[in-house]
Amino acid sequence: MNPYRRATLLCSVGLGTTLTFASSHWLLAWMGLEINTLAITPLMAQHHHPRAVEATTKYFLTQATAAAMILFASTTNAWMTGEWSINDLSNPIASTMFMAALALKIGLAPMHFWMPEVLQGLDLLTGLILSTWQKLAPLALIIQTAQTIDPLLLTLLGISSTLVGGWGGLNQTQLRKILAYSSIAHMGWMIIVIQYAPQLTLIALGTYIIMTSAAFLTLKMSLTTKISTLATTWSKSPILTSTTALVLLSLGGLPPLTGFMPKWLILQELTKQDLPIIATAMALTALISLYFYLRLLYAMTLTISPNMINSTTPWRTQTTQTSLPLALFTTAALGLLPMAPAILMLTT
Amino acid sequence: MAVSKTTLKTLFGVYGVIHRQTLLLPSTLRCSVILSSRSIYERDYRRPGQPPDTRWPWQKIQFDFSKGVEGIKKHIGLLKDEFVQRWTGPEGRPLIDHMLEQTRVQWEFRGPESLSQWVVSSDQEIGGRSEAYIKLGKNNTTCMLYGTLCSTPPRDGETRYSGYCTLRSKQPLASFDRKKYYDWSSFNTLHMRIRGDGRPWMVNMSAETFFSHQRDDIYSYFLYTRGGPYWQDVKIPFSKFFLSSRGRIQDDQHVLWLDKVKSIGFTLGDKADGPFQLEIDFIGLCSDLAHTEEFAYELYKRNPEV
Repeated sequence: MNPYRRATLLCSVGLGTTLTFASSHWLLAWMGLEINTLAITPLMAQHHHPRAVEATTKYFLTQATAAAMILFASTTNAWMTGEWSINDLSNPIASTMFMAALALKIGLAPMHFWMPEVLQGLDLLTGLILSTWQKLAPLALIIQTAQTIDPLLLTLLGISSTLVGGWGGLNQTQLRKILAYSSIAHMGWMIIVIQYAPQLTLIALGTYIIMTSAAFLTLKMSLTTKISTLATTWSKSPILTSTTALVLLSLGGLPPLTGFMPKWLILQELTKQDLPIIATAMALTALISLYFYLRLLYAMTLTISPNMINSTTPWRTQTTQTSLPLALFTTAALGLLPMAPAILMLTT
Repeated sequence: MAVSKTTLKTLFGVYGVIHRQTLLLPSTLRCSVILSSRSIYERDYRRPGQPPDTRWPWQKIQFDFSKGVEGIKKHIGLLKDEFVQRWTGPEGRPLIDHMLEQTRVQWEFRGPESLSQWVVSSDQEIGGRSEAYIKLGKNNTTCMLYGTLCSTPPRDGETRYSGYCTLRSKQPLASFDRKKYYDWSSFNTLHMRIRGDGRPWMVNMSAETFFSHQRDDIYSYFLYTRGGPYWQDVKIPFSKFFLSSRGRIQDDQHVLWLDKVKSIGFTLGDKADGPFQLEIDFIGLCSDLAHTEEFAYELYKRNPEV
């Protein structure tokens, strides 16, 4: 793509999210979401492959539907209460409709069906933008209105997302689909605690972005999109293979890695709120997700697949891809747990 | 009958009513009614020279109770298998199989039930005179596609060219006739053991499409057979397949994505009238690690910026 066009589109994507962040009026927030959707559409379809165009079309249709529902919810709220302010979402019908629309936007179960197919049709960098940046604006709106939304709805969305994210990712061999289901599960964790402690949602979002970025950039560096080719990365870059193994464990939420922080804090908060059953259910669903992360780890590091090369290949030409973002995200994905008190203090 | 339907439509002026004819009403009413709920791409094939089928959908129903019961049993069984397969691994096989496999035999002809997965077609569909049949070969171990090619076009006033026959695999179906796809992303080469008659065949593969105008997209490559009594091992990398749509090679080429393959087919259309035969032992896939080409055809910008 022409670099000027790509820069314009990326700036528009950033503008849309920032507009939603900065808005206190529903119409402006909706506009930001629409700018976001429209700007990322050409980025998704830039490769002109039918599967990319299919993914773009599906994404556009779901996001446009969600945006239309948001507009409808906000106008219903304005009609009933006379308020356009985001913080004054007091009508129950409007708030439920709004939550359903935003669940569709970020791919919460049961509105998650578009996510694996869309991610599968995209290249890894666009998939990364979709999984991380595109979640910011809708989550910002959810955080602002969480107190007015039915708690049962939020709990159901959260638990079903973690369940679906775990079960759905179990029998996949395509890595982008696995990361899509991982995204659905992580969104579930963010939503379940939003009504009790929004700062934990922010922490979960931040750590999710860091870990997912590390995962996507690793796959981009080793040019793998399925488990069988992932299994041959050890000969190309042993250090990357070992750090990726740790990033996968971090995604699974194992201590002492960064991914443990949001899960621990969320489970602690749920227990404090006298919700032990929900906390137990969330912990058990995390185990299902952990299974497919471990499966990736097993394929990558603990076994040696049939391969022509039986040793590492130091003579491979150096990659032209920049490795600084990967290094930063990997370090952050592995080493931020000791900073948990500081991060908590920053977000409260 | 047609007149009474037309009168009905004229009276009500309803858009999107189920019918097979496009109707243009007088200018006073100013409404043109496309009267089919299905797109033109999904309608039953109309053989050139034949009148369109104008029956209402309920007139085409053939109700059979015993068939219905068998169908329910079959589909519930398939659904149960799908649930049980998930415990084993992706596609019902353990993950270690997915990681270790470098070859897979996708189709082999070892009994009469193997032929039911294939569909034979020739230009008889459009009124031509070619004939094509399949049967099991010697000892029920191979598939024999044989027949006669005739390139005389049918005299229906519409068709100008004729003379083809094709063997195509049926799309795999899950329970309740949901479409399934083959995931061949672990492989990069098609491996077949065939015994031909020296004619040039084409191997066609179709993948999952989303838009209706991609319905006829096919990825093709040539299959030159040697003839003679000796078997031929043919290995075609998937990077060599080029895109064509309705028989026309497309300018904007792209590689075949292997994660959702619908079917494979063999076509003969070499304009040489006479008998033909193709014997297939198996069709398999293999992962050739030495073949690193992603796509064999370079794309040039048609209007480069200077």
